[in-house]
Amino acid sequence: MILTTLMAAAAPALAGGGTGVSLMVHAEYLHVGPGEVVRNALVQVDEGQIVAVLPGRSAPDGALSVHSAMAGMVDASARTTGDPSAVEQSKEIITQLSVQDALDPFDPAWGRLARTGVTTALIAPPDLNVIGGLTVVVKTAGAPRLEGRVLEGKPILRGAIGDQPSARNSPAFGRPRNYFARRPTTRMGVEWEWRKAFFDAGQAERFPEADFEGADVLRACLKGDVRVMIQAWTTADIRTACYLDEEMQREGYGDLDLVIDAGAEAWKEPAFLQRTGTSVVLPPFPASGRSGERSFMPWNTARVLLDKGIPVALSGHGGTSPKTRLGDQAGFAMRGGLTFDEALAAVTTTPAALLGVEQRVGRVAAGMDADLVLWNGRPFEATSAIVGVVASGDVVLQPR
Amino acid sequence: MKPHLLHRLTAVLALTAAAHAGDSYAVKAGTVMTMGGDPIENGVIVMQDGRITAVGKDGEVEIPWDAEVFEAPDLVAFPGMVEACISGGMDRPNESVDVTPFLDVNDSIDPVNFFYEDMRRAGVTTINVQQGDETVIAGRGMVVKPSGMTVEAMMVRPQSGMKISVAPKRGKSRAVQLMILRNAFADLRRTLEGMVQEKQDEVAKARREALAQGRDFEEPKPAGRAMEGSGWKLEGLEWVDRSTIDAKLLPLLDVVEGRLPIYLNCETPMDVLHGLAIAKENGFLAQTVLMIGASCWKVSDQIKEAGVRGVVLPLQLEHTERAPFAEEDTVTLLPEHFAEKGIPFALRSANSTTESLWYQAARCVALGVDRQQALEAITTMPADLIGLGSDVGSLEPGHHANIVLLSGDPLSLQSTVQYVFVEGRMIYDRSQDTRLQHLLEGVEPEGVSADEPVVTDIHEEERKAGGE
Repeated sequence: MILTTLMAAAAPALAGGGTGVSLMVHAEYLHVGPGEVVRNALVQVDEGQIVAVLPGRSAPDGALSVHSAMAGMVDASARTTGDPSAVEQSKEIITQLSVQDALDPFDPAWGRLARTGVTTALIAPPDLNVIGGLTVVVKTAGAPRLEGRVLEGKPILRGAIGDQPSARNSPAFGRPRNYFARRPTTRMGVEWEWRKAFFDAGQAERFPEADFEGADVLRACLKGDVRVMIQAWTTADIRTACYLDEEMQREGYGDLDLVIDAGAEAWKEPAFLQRTGTSVVLPPFPASGRSGERSFMPWNTARVLLDKGIPVALSGHGGTSPKTRLGDQAGFAMRGGLTFDEALAAVTTTPAALLGVEQRVGRVAAGMDADLVLWNGRPFEATSAIVGVVASGDVVLQPR
Repeated sequence: MKPHLLHRLTAVLALTAAAHAGDSYAVKAGTVMTMGGDPIENGVIVMQDGRITAVGKDGEVEIPWDAEVFEAPDLVAFPGMVEACISGGMDRPNESVDVTPFLDVNDSIDPVNFFYEDMRRAGVTTINVQQGDETVIAGRGMVVKPSGMTVEAMMVRPQSGMKISVAPKRGKSRAVQLMILRNAFADLRRTLEGMVQEKQDEVAKARREALAQGRDFEEPKPAGRAMEGSGWKLEGLEWVDRSTIDAKLLPLLDVVEGRLPIYLNCETPMDVLHGLAIAKENGFLAQTVLMIGASCWKVSDQIKEAGVRGVVLPLQLEHTERAPFAEEDTVTLLPEHFAEKGIPFALRSANSTTESLWYQAARCVALGVDRQQALEAITTMPADLIGLGSDVGSLEPGHHANIVLLSGDPLSLQSTVQYVFVEGRMIYDRSQDTRLQHLLEGVEPEGVSADEPVVTDIHEEERKAGGE
């Protein structure tokens, strides 16, 4: 690595073969990570990885030269798969299947997301049943085959509490009319499904004859080997998720490693999240404050949670239009009181750690994936825009 | 008395004492961005009777001895922003009838609508309220300021223009929309032709009668005035006394004679071309402000050539066109495109946080427009478009004393509107804005809701016992 760096520094031109540098990016301000800025930095990239970050350089010929650069953003709730076929709905609790098999690597949505600066995304099964299955972390650009783009992170089981899992169900009185003539049909039913699933899985450890398909994943959740991501917009649903965790602890089944997704009302009762060591992924900031499932999310939500020591990641829910993109959310969070470094962490290092992929993405350093977001001004400011994106070493958005 | 009530009372007293019309008043700010010249450090704005009398550096401008001085050394003074055309603050912005030039938003403006509160909070002090886009020919609009309990108190300029929509209203095809639009003007012409004919017949009859009776006939003098305007002209309109014309049609005659600004709503490039043709034919092209959709950049050359009053860009400042088979999207940055074409533009807004005027201007800068031009697009440019360029939009002597005091640069995400003055009166104080505190900090105003239930951990003891 050191040798490559020295050679690259000696021969800054791109053309020369064998330099081991396929792309160079020069930024007046390189935001290496939260709280770390390198002035006039030259980032050297080869084979999809950053090989060196050199401070105090001028832009060599052939380098992409911009005002500011930072690590590619990580969206912990990218939601590019709204397709009902991406989740198995024959049962309310599906734990053994992964959404990975439902992803289409040829979907142009990936490219659109990559061009907004989101280079790593958690894809979860759509919340059409209570527990939808395992999630997958993918790079939004890079290899044409999905295998080359999946990141090995911490396994995450995804489900939802609230209106959504029961929204399309109707009780099966008489002869079931269709596929959605099923339970649960209420919030209470959804909560019951969660508790029953974990309780049964825990019991099955003591009574092996009661074991069932997928119970091993639930037990891995109880051991903390699999993280549990629960969509819960409102304070009541967040409370339910935390009670579930505490109940499992009390019963001696284990301790869930909880992440609340779309926790719009997490600000109302942060004590619950503190007590259970829960992290929060926030939904996009609503202009009026009114968010999903009749929740209310004020603009200082991220500030309140950080002050209570709760890790917060921001999400654009995969939005690619102005004001819905992840970069815009970081700006809005700053309007709500976050410092620049906190906002940067909330879209890079914090979500990367939540997904267990912090060894590969979230920072600009030698050995990390070559994911860079290039700005024409200070990142996240309303007067700045993303002008270029490098994802896994490929320039997916060419700086204008 | 509770401390907060006392605080509120003193604030109210301060507000009423702040600046009564007739009194001298001065605002000292750390920076004064006049938009009429370079920013002034440690500036002072002197006002009297609701208008600015002097702007300059502190110490170089004479402040009347009896003037009350508002000190804001940490704040930035900026002209109150100007909304060129918006359909807000009304009881239902659209009429179900297609052609209603005889209506006036005077009757639908609701002074206590939250819309005006949002505008104050966003630092917008001049608003051209026009009817919505779901019309063909709408009623006449009004320029208002966002303060006052009656429409009369809010009024800055009545009958400030008319919204005409080329883009089809809900449930209508483009063909029908255009037919109704063209027919409206054709009906006006036919009606006027009929009136002229009737008048001429009347005179001819009188002349024949006089001839038959062997009297001298005194030729009558025209009772009205000849038709003006640059579109079609009706010979002999001077014979018609204008007071005899149907009041439902008169406003449309004002349009054809070029007396009423027109806000022409066009969603697509084809709307723009049809709209420009109809405007030219009916003589209101020079009065037209185009309210365009994102794809209308495609006809920017035709817009420039047509010589309209101006263009108001849509909320969406980036136009993305997706090729159906290729993965690549073509993105056109509207502000940059129009700036390069040399077509001056104003911006519009929707809400007070993510789509307010300052945010749209900031996005213009992000998308490659010169900062000065972006600032003009929310101040002087819309002021010119609504014909109030010498009254609002910049902090200059003679202008209305409409001032926004911000905590920092107007285009920064971290800046907030702290105080707003309209015509020399303070109409907004952020520290008193309970609804904003709800939105920003989740703090409910006192007395509007029940207290949150106190949540206790009912299992705390059990858990402690289990832990041991």
